[in-house]
Amino acid sequence: MLTVTIDFKSPASYLALEPTLDLARETGIQIDWLPFATRPFSIAAEKTGETVGERHRRVRALSQRDTWLHYAAVQGRDMHFAETPAGSDAALAALAGIDDDPVPFIRAAFAAYWTEQADLDDEMVVAALLSSVQRPVPDSQSAHAKLLSIRAGAEESGIFESPTYVIADQLFVGREHLPWIRCLVEAAKVS
Amino acid sequence: MKALESDAPLIVYIDIKSPYAFVAIQPTLALEKALDMRFDWRPLTLDIPSYLGSARKSKGKVVESTRSASQWVGIKYAYRDARRYVERQGYMLKGTEKIWDSSIANIEILWVMQNNRDRLGAYLQRVYPPFWRRELDIENVAIVEACLEEAGIGSAGFSAFQQGDGRAQHDALQAQLHPSGIYGVPTYVFDRTILFGREHLPYVRWHLTGRRGPAPDIAYEIDAMETQPC
Repeated sequence: MLTVTIDFKSPASYLALEPTLDLARETGIQIDWLPFATRPFSIAAEKTGETVGERHRRVRALSQRDTWLHYAAVQGRDMHFAETPAGSDAALAALAGIDDDPVPFIRAAFAAYWTEQADLDDEMVVAALLSSVQRPVPDSQSAHAKLLSIRAGAEESGIFESPTYVIADQLFVGREHLPWIRCLVEAAKVS
Repeated sequence: MKALESDAPLIVYIDIKSPYAFVAIQPTLALEKALDMRFDWRPLTLDIPSYLGSARKSKGKVVESTRSASQWVGIKYAYRDARRYVERQGYMLKGTEKIWDSSIANIEILWVMQNNRDRLGAYLQRVYPPFWRRELDIENVAIVEACLEEAGIGSAGFSAFQQGDGRAQHDALQAQLHPSGIYGVPTYVFDRTILFGREHLPYVRWHLTGRRGPAPDIAYEIDAMETQPC
């Protein structure tokens, strides 16, 4: 089993989805998708009197956005950054409450967020997405409680970012680790 | 020297004190050799306290720190991550006990590029592994200068260079980096495309070999020649 944390508002999670599904398809490994909220991505406006640290963070954020867009194009994926990023908590709670295959909902939620700038903190929007993939709307209160419980467990394991892959007691942040993860999956099959 | 311009097919920015640059050195040198190209290696001296807080350790314990809890979590992961990949390459990576001023060793990169380009790989080999074993004081000019000689590179004149023209070139380059969109190491630059991190090496290779076939996604490639199995 490979555990993968995701957040719909995380650009890196969005770009990790299909390569991770490819790995699962090619190796046969089961994936446990866990919702794990990250800080919203934003780019600070340039200002006069900017400190070196502020400038560093602004330049880094601009570069990250450009790099995500670059690889979205490489993957043939549509991706747009909203001026004001929306939340994702309602969709993450819904993911926590899904009992059967969550992948259709995950795909729908990522696409809605990154191509239509859908507000995934709006329960009506999330209900419509669930309906579009024939999934029932989970009880909101218990789904949110489960989301909090998943987060607490994840933090206990040292997880601090999405996407994080957990396999063989190792944490890997980001899809760039997929070659090593594949190697671990194949090694586990042999043993 | 302009931050985004070079006669070489690829500019590579590195800093001796960066663990992520350390783990990128071998695969980047290997790519350069495999393609029989000459990359334009340049220093980027990170100002770590300005964006990651500062800290000093003694005997493995933090004795001074301005870092937040979340900064520490990220930094500890970054070191663990770099360490496991460095160990795959057969090297050791010990966390540093202070934030070093790496400018002298980085100015040496300019020196080597200008005086004995063919020995750059030997120089990087002579500096990176011992620094990350905590065996090299990169703030001591005499010690850093000795690295040149041990790498088969003449050091006569380096002392004056690192105080004069070399320092001026280094500082002028650093001043251009943020305005050019460069903030970390390793950074790869070609055709004004800026990519931070060795995960872009598959894309860089694809670009440098004529962009044939579909462009690859990011990946930390696993090399069959590495010393450790997964």
